[in-house]
Amino acid sequence: MKDTIVAPATASGTAAVGIIRLSGEEALAIAAKVFTAKGWSAASAEPYKMYLGKADAGKFADRAFCMYCKAPKSYTGEDVVEFHLHGGKVITEGLLRRLVALGARPALPGEFTKRAYLNGKLDLAEAEGIEDMITAGSEAEAMQAYRMMGGEVSRGVERVKELLLEAAANIDAVLDYPEELTEDNAPLIRAALTRAKKELDDLYEGSKNRRLLKEGASLVLAGLTNVGKSSLMNALLKDDRAIVTDVAGTTRDVLRESFELEGVSVNVSDTAGIRDGGDEVEKIGISRAERAIEGADLVLFVTDLSVPESAEERALYEKIKHKKHIRVANKGDVARYPREADIVTEAKTGGNIDELTALISEKLELKKRLETPILTRERQIYAVKAAAEHVEAALEAMDETGLDCLAVDVKAAWAELCALTGEDVAESVVDEIFSRFCVGK
Amino acid sequence: MNGEYDAIVIGAGHAGAEAAHVLAKTGKKTLLLSLSLEAVAFMACNPNVGGTAKGHLVKEVDALGGIMGEIADKATIQRRMLNAGNGPAVHSLRAQVDKNLYHRLMKRALERTAGLDITEAEASEILVENGEVAGVRTALGKVYRARAVVLATGVYLDARIITGEYVRATGPAGFMKSSALTGSLLALGLDIRRFKTGTPMRILSSSIDYSVMEVQPGEEGLPAFSMLTEGNVRNDMNCWLTYTNARTHKIILDNLDRAPMYNGEISGVGPRYCPSIETKVVRFADKERHQVFIEPEGADTEEMYAQGLSTSLPYDVQEEMVHSIRGLENAKITRYGYAIEYDCLNPLELNAALGVKKYKGLYSAGQINGSSGYEEAAAQGLVAGINASRYLDGKEPFVMRRDESYIGVLIDDLVTKGTEEPYRMMTSRAEYRLHLRQDNADLRLTAIGRELGTVDDERYSKYLKKVAEIEDIRKALKRRYKPEEVEEVFTAKGESVPKTSISGEEILRRGRLNGSDLIAVDNEFDKYSYDAFFNVATEIKYEGYLVKEQRTIREAQRMEEKALTPDIDYSKIDGIRLEARQKLDAVKPLTVAQAARISGVNSADITVLLLWLRKREAAKAAGAKKAADGKDGE
Repeated sequence: MKDTIVAPATASGTAAVGIIRLSGEEALAIAAKVFTAKGWSAASAEPYKMYLGKADAGKFADRAFCMYCKAPKSYTGEDVVEFHLHGGKVITEGLLRRLVALGARPALPGEFTKRAYLNGKLDLAEAEGIEDMITAGSEAEAMQAYRMMGGEVSRGVERVKELLLEAAANIDAVLDYPEELTEDNAPLIRAALTRAKKELDDLYEGSKNRRLLKEGASLVLAGLTNVGKSSLMNALLKDDRAIVTDVAGTTRDVLRESFELEGVSVNVSDTAGIRDGGDEVEKIGISRAERAIEGADLVLFVTDLSVPESAEERALYEKIKHKKHIRVANKGDVARYPREADIVTEAKTGGNIDELTALISEKLELKKRLETPILTRERQIYAVKAAAEHVEAALEAMDETGLDCLAVDVKAAWAELCALTGEDVAESVVDEIFSRFCVGK
Repeated sequence: MNGEYDAIVIGAGHAGAEAAHVLAKTGKKTLLLSLSLEAVAFMACNPNVGGTAKGHLVKEVDALGGIMGEIADKATIQRRMLNAGNGPAVHSLRAQVDKNLYHRLMKRALERTAGLDITEAEASEILVENGEVAGVRTALGKVYRARAVVLATGVYLDARIITGEYVRATGPAGFMKSSALTGSLLALGLDIRRFKTGTPMRILSSSIDYSVMEVQPGEEGLPAFSMLTEGNVRNDMNCWLTYTNARTHKIILDNLDRAPMYNGEISGVGPRYCPSIETKVVRFADKERHQVFIEPEGADTEEMYAQGLSTSLPYDVQEEMVHSIRGLENAKITRYGYAIEYDCLNPLELNAALGVKKYKGLYSAGQINGSSGYEEAAAQGLVAGINASRYLDGKEPFVMRRDESYIGVLIDDLVTKGTEEPYRMMTSRAEYRLHLRQDNADLRLTAIGRELGTVDDERYSKYLKKVAEIEDIRKALKRRYKPEEVEEVFTAKGESVPKTSISGEEILRRGRLNGSDLIAVDNEFDKYSYDAFFNVATEIKYEGYLVKEQRTIREAQRMEEKALTPDIDYSKIDGIRLEARQKLDAVKPLTVAQAARISGVNSADITVLLLWLRKREAAKAAGAKKAADGKDGE
């Protein structure tokens, strides 16, 4: 059975209309799960007719046209469903993600065309037109995007690949050299797979890029009491959401608000000032603050230039410094005790706040992340999820099946990740065997 | 008629023997040339056939009508099934064989093959006329004419052996080298490279103290390599296992400056797959000991093979090193280990039918193609022979796919990716490993062999019998058993006893149960042949995984079906990246799938290639229509 693929047919960006195309045996069935219109159902949809209805992307719905092209009379020669939506990233990407969640696979570069060709559907004019569009560098672009994604996700993928390679090499080395490698390496394989599974789960669940669009980025203000965190938050939000007084410990809980930066919503949490002592309620607030810091994408470590640097302040910095952070020295207007900082602000008057937001955007790598094409990003997420499922299957089957079967799942997981970077699967395992093991007689 | 043949095979090693045999079997008048008739099917290195992935190759060669399996069964003196505990796909039969007996049996089998002449002679020139093979000239000056030639020169082309400071321009084991043929191949414009391999010393059995070694006896109840083998295969000789130690390693390291591998004497590229002991000690310095298997060279000789001690160190270092090993303290070396360098072809010169792309009628098989191993050689010899035969008949080349056989993987790897070192078959190279098993080699290939004309009636009827038996077993597996009938077996294996009746098939699907448990429940199953029963049990037990693999095979299949012709000039296809164009031009793939496997060709290049093909088809159709219209007008 051929799987069903999905991709935007229009360039991602801000065109007036965005088109998403599904192709494959399940195209209509998947479409029926998101699209509703009068007189339209998977069974009754009349081919080659535009229906106006509602496309449900889960969190939101949009008015959309839907057209079904029945195999073999379609672009690819398979069942094809097209959605014509209002343009704009949020809508097209939202629906795309929904379709992937429902079982469609993000298409590889050129895959629609390849299917069209293999099904004998491509006419000459199309072939010529499309050839101009496909530059031979498109895979390089995908890899470029993969590298651009940078940071945690790509490092995570590389780590998982290492682990899977280790497991695959350990399996295959034994299978090819059973007389020479007689030690039981099952615990080693299990350990590698267990770690790989955890990393993949973390990558999938915590995928920052995915969350960025869906939930926004999280920014946490941390600092001792009364250094001006609430004022800073107000300045960022440009309204008076948090209560600001000069009494230490006014903010007793975590306040959340959000503002827009580069089109992404940034959720700001103002934590209770951390200090020893205080009343019971405040203590609860403080422990919540610590949790908020742990979950943050970025921490603003706020200090007060009007008071000297205390041991408490240094201790707090020790606690947050492993997170991505910006050291904000506040109350620049009454500065008396200079200290190391990334930026100096005057929260109450709004001084240097624009510079601070620019720095936040830079640290969160908002531009870079948003420039990564949606399709690449979806493919990455899809690959990570599929890899996690294969590794899970391997772990579950480990005790009951032979190593030869185990290798099928491990290699499938690895192949998913290699598809992102264009590596050759078989040759790498063979190379790995000979670099790790002294085998061959 | 002497001097006129359909085909000539140069070299009578494991590749040449299969090639000559299959050419004659398919009705071609064939000449087999060998530098020495004592070297026919000579096992120059290890005394075994089969092993991981190699056992699969032997089974496949047999399923297609080759002879290696039959001869190996007859010359066997001990058998083991490697990987028996690691899953059915990798079960690998490995036989210790009597080398001399193997040589004699193969020589006699070839001598008795109708339509095959064997002559001792050194081929010195490949004759070519108008880009097509015309024959072979020997060093004696005699010219043999033939339209097809198979090169199977093994390690003999301009060979040189090295033991420490001793260097001699000679072939293995004292056989002469081939001196002139490399020049002829170079004159034909073929890309020649230099590879290296090696062999350990042989030791006199009576000088070995076996009492301090681990004995490795054979295993009973194993199937044979060949479908044609009836009755028991000999299995009464032992191998032994001992180990190197810190002292051995010190002796080697202290003498590295005298090791040709390290002092620059050897320039050829050696295999990672059978490293010399000096290489192992240097590369894996933290390993405290290495295995040394002591294996009989035959049943009627006292010589033992020291598997694991391949070396080109000087004779005195070899002696010191051997004497440092437990059980070998007083060992007498009968032959010293040596490294051997030889000329071979860059396999990128070949297409997937093992034909040399630049010349019609010229084929090549075995170590000359950059592979290593007897089984790899035999597999290629068979395919090269089949294709030389088909060429003579004007038929389409026979190309094996990766999802069909290890032979397909082997040849595709060689001709698509090339190789930078002697290539050894490994199960990890096969992406469809679960499908390519020993137990189904005949089910995968024998019907194909029948079509090719290489499978005779005897083999084919055995195949049909197995197919029928499998159907019977599948039917019998529907039989149901009451809980009390299975209770004993289930409890013993820690499986929960079913509440209602259970079928034989369901029993096999249980995680902890296998075929022998089913036989314990119902001994009716014991009457079936090992091969057929094992096959069905495996297919049922691993159905889930097999289905997964099958899906990817089908995905790839469509790309395998898109044929490419060798006349395509990739340098002219705009849109494909320059690097990929060069690679495509070098390999000249036969299918789009093969093109996609070339390293340095990416998926976008393939998409552009597909579009280009579509345009070419359209242009051809338009041209044909124009021509047809023109005719109508006349």
